[in-house]
Amino acid sequence: MIAYLLNLATLATVFGILAASLNLLIGYAGIFSMAHAVFFGLGAYAGAQIAMLLVPDVLLACLAAAAVAGLLSLCLALPALRVRGEYFVVASLGLQMVAITVFSEAHAVTGGHGGLVGIPPATLFGLNIGDPGAFLLVCLAVLALVLLGIRVLMRGSFGRSLMAIRDSESAAKAFGKDVPRIKTLAVGLGCALAGVAGALFAFYMAFVNVESFTLEQSVLVMAMVIIGGTATLAGPLIGVLLLLLLPAGLSFLTFIPPTEIGAVQQFIYGLAMTLLMIFRPAGIAGLSTGRR
Amino acid sequence: MQGLLSVRGLEKHFGGLAAVQKVDLDLQEGVTTALVGPNGAGKTTLFNLITGNIVPDSGTVTVAGAAVTGRRPHEIARLGVARSFQDLRLFGRMTVRDNVLAAIEHGAWFWQPGGGAARRAREAAVESALERTGLSHLAKARAVDLSYAETKFLSVARILATGARIWLLDEPASGLDLNSRNRFVALVREAVAAGVTVCLIEHNLDIVTELADRIAFLDRGAKLAEGEPAAILRDPELIAIYFGERRP
Repeated sequence: MIAYLLNLATLATVFGILAASLNLLIGYAGIFSMAHAVFFGLGAYAGAQIAMLLVPDVLLACLAAAAVAGLLSLCLALPALRVRGEYFVVASLGLQMVAITVFSEAHAVTGGHGGLVGIPPATLFGLNIGDPGAFLLVCLAVLALVLLGIRVLMRGSFGRSLMAIRDSESAAKAFGKDVPRIKTLAVGLGCALAGVAGALFAFYMAFVNVESFTLEQSVLVMAMVIIGGTATLAGPLIGVLLLLLLPAGLSFLTFIPPTEIGAVQQFIYGLAMTLLMIFRPAGIAGLSTGRR
Repeated sequence: MQGLLSVRGLEKHFGGLAAVQKVDLDLQEGVTTALVGPNGAGKTTLFNLITGNIVPDSGTVTVAGAAVTGRRPHEIARLGVARSFQDLRLFGRMTVRDNVLAAIEHGAWFWQPGGGAARRAREAAVESALERTGLSHLAKARAVDLSYAETKFLSVARILATGARIWLLDEPASGLDLNSRNRFVALVREAVAAGVTVCLIEHNLDIVTELADRIAFLDRGAKLAEGEPAAILRDPELIAIYFGERRP
């Protein structure tokens, strides 16, 4: 039972980092990316390769994952400079589809459909942290750092610039904001943090393949952010807990036949999202949209 | 005489529609100019062309003698040209204070240049702008929660805080009650007395008469006349066009 709870807690922490990174884009910058799982995947592959080829140091792997995902996020940032709103959503969707093909075909780097197997247990400064409890502590520490960093940034001028662009891009330009540059930085940072989540995921699973980085994963993470509440620190975490723990919780309800759990889960998700968008469109932790 | 902001032969077509046709305009330093004309005259399009939101087909815009035609909006803004929007475009989910602060933070990195002294100067500019617009007590309220008049004053507070030399105001007083309208007029007069150059689009001719030193009359994208308010507003031909009774 404890192993099961540790597994859930670790996955929730990794997805907490991933959702917080997407919240930076959706909640604070108003950039609706449908390709966040791509950068999660890039981080996972980068982290796995570092661990398998060099040293399984979690810090080194996270830094490499952040660098790879952050730099390759320019693939997303460049269209972000040119298109807005629904056009960007479609552009990111295209990137997601291209990336899945590349992940599936680039056998030398990703292992193709078979994925990368045998990722060694994580170490930190030479200490083995492969034990589930120790690894959870490391993941929690990373989550705390990520949330602290986002909080500091969003309370400062960078956060104000991002939110100004989100609320009115033309007014932000009229007040001297270099919108393309600020958006590029936001995308780079958000994707780098997704990469960090990917590296931790790779270490935890000891195996990564393309199935973890599909469009469904991008949609799931987006749902976590929106249901929990955009532009808040707690929102994405609440969303992660709900969407990750709900399936686990349902499996304890003995009156639901195991074969029907999937259908019940879909029904609850659908109903919850519809009710939420009607009665609380800013999400569970989100602020109301105002009186007018 | 060339103005602090000068427009020469500015033209913009949207498909077959001539939105702005060969417009010349000079905004002299410390002078308030009103753009007057019926709906669809091209007044807001002219603001969009001046501020770089739309690229003109031909013509030039200069600010203090420097050509700015084709430059990006944020670059023109940093030359001291601030504008308001007809639909205000406030940063709705941000607080009143952050709306004003965001308007004067230009650094695109994770921090602002200039260190603590510059930060204190920005904070002082924000406090001063909020005080002058009567919004200090609402500093922590979100823009989306303000009343109509308060949102109007917030859009002015953002401009005030920038310290811009040129203000382009698009229907800044529309829908204001008498008290708010008088406060707005006093604010603009105070700024002009301090050397600010103002160009405003306004349909309320009383406000135009009170504030404007000059009027440029536009219709269907072309400037039909320019001169002192008394002369323009007494021209029966222009008044007939303004009220949609006659077209030249």
